[in-house]
Amino acid sequence: MSTPLLEVENIRRAFGGVHALDGVSLRVNQGEILCIIGPNGAGKTTLFNIISGVMRPSSGDVRFQGQSIVRWPPQRIAEAGIARTYQIARPFARLCVRDNVAVAALARERTLERARRAAQDVLESVGLASLADRPAGSLTLTQRKRLEVARALALRPKLLLLDEVMAGLTPTEIDAMAVFIEQLRERGIAAIGGVEHVMRVVMRISDRIAVLDFGKKIADGTPVEIADDPRVGEAYFGTQIDETGAGPSFPLKGRP
Amino acid sequence: MSGRALVISIIVVAVLAAVPPFLNGYARSLLYITVLYVALAYAWNVISGYAGYLSFGQVTFFGLGAYTTAIAVIRAHLPWWEGALLGGLVSAALAVPLGYLMLRLRGAFFALGMLGMAQTLQVVANSWQLTGGGSGLFLPPGSNALPVYYWTLVIGLLGFATTLFIDRSAFGLRLQALREDEQVASTLGVHVTTTKVWAFVISAIMPGLLGGGYAWYLTYVEPVSAFATRIDLQAVAMTILGGIGTLWGPLIGGVLMSQVSEILAAQYPQAYLMIFGGLVVVLLVLLPRGIAPAISAALERRRARAAQVQR
Repeated sequence: MSTPLLEVENIRRAFGGVHALDGVSLRVNQGEILCIIGPNGAGKTTLFNIISGVMRPSSGDVRFQGQSIVRWPPQRIAEAGIARTYQIARPFARLCVRDNVAVAALARERTLERARRAAQDVLESVGLASLADRPAGSLTLTQRKRLEVARALALRPKLLLLDEVMAGLTPTEIDAMAVFIEQLRERGIAAIGGVEHVMRVVMRISDRIAVLDFGKKIADGTPVEIADDPRVGEAYFGTQIDETGAGPSFPLKGRP
Repeated sequence: MSGRALVISIIVVAVLAAVPPFLNGYARSLLYITVLYVALAYAWNVISGYAGYLSFGQVTFFGLGAYTTAIAVIRAHLPWWEGALLGGLVSAALAVPLGYLMLRLRGAFFALGMLGMAQTLQVVANSWQLTGGGSGLFLPPGSNALPVYYWTLVIGLLGFATTLFIDRSAFGLRLQALREDEQVASTLGVHVTTTKVWAFVISAIMPGLLGGGYAWYLTYVEPVSAFATRIDLQAVAMTILGGIGTLWGPLIGGVLMSQVSEILAAQYPQAYLMIFGGLVVVLLVLLPRGIAPAISAALERRRARAAQVQR
């Protein structure tokens, strides 16, 4: 078996006395879509911060294509092929939308002119091309979310970390985002999505699902396995899910 | 820059180069001081306007350049401009380690750290034998101010050209990205530390080069005036008034402020600082982003209107 694209091994991270992550291990294969579900505060963002290099774990290792990256600075990790988005969109407000994306494209293109052209192409693909000359600070919430994704894509990553991409979107927009994530698979880009709610979509798009609860991974498997796991229902919804899928308001078994 | 702006710029530069020999001493020194402050404002604008690190201590490098030049002239009998070049080199050499250290600080902490740096060098100059202690160093008299003026004009032009380059280069885009959000810039592949240290070095070389000319112009250096916070504050106020982080801001703000303050000082010698301060406050309330962005916004509106009429 080939090495996985990303291996997270026994990561711990404490803030004071609180264990945000308490021995979490994960692996993601090339082109695979892994969704990490878990309530607010489960440790998803901390995990993304550690993988992308903006935070160091207290202990544990992160390997990308077999190489330990846990001590690398964020820009080196970005250049190696891991891109991320932020839960609360953080555009470069005073730069125009195109230049926001061009900053990332510069990691792959040699001149600013080529980076801007590459940025324009990415903006086409996420439907922001008509806003390219606007200052990014003037975008709406939905547009900012798309800009986050566009910037990450401009790095031409092998692995995309999507922190709460669904949060704050309308049902229609959530479906559009789901289609977008499924297209990543066709392009050979692996993705880890952190998702608090919208189980309907998670069930549909994920190859695998990992469940985080209070900094521990309590389950990891295919959508069907997760839906049937009694621990998940207990931790996540407070009750066990019965066979008919009634009970919690989330149609956990809503796989079409 | 459009073709018309380029033509106007060339004419302005030609006038600035041709006129000084025909001016009287007063007008010539006013012109020198104006060009000097515009050049200092361009230097400050790189680290503070484009990289977003507000510094109240770039005068550190100005004083360093002044002292380096004085020592080079007195001890090594070099011509002043070689001393001034050396001042630029020394400033750059100090700026690299200092940048790695200081640029870990953010916001007010960086601003105060740089202020402290200038104060520290002032204390050193005050107590070291090599720098002549509190009485400073005296340069050979009989210096001609004209070469210093041209020296300063060239560095000012280099400052403008550097800003023009930054405005339209990958380096400048990375700089502005890290100004907006350093963490996001780093996860998008920007080498944050290297980029901002480069900006800091650019903002240090220019005052280093300018300080030597200033020492030669005054024919002496002493600790208080060489490391004066006032010099920084002046450059800061000019840039902010003209438009921080813009190509034209330091020029507009610098020219306007030095002329207006000169006129006011002549008319109202007692109250001029008060009137001047009031004017700056009023202008910044009316145009919070400075004059240059207000002008470009107005031009933009006019262009949009013209486009509409055509349709």
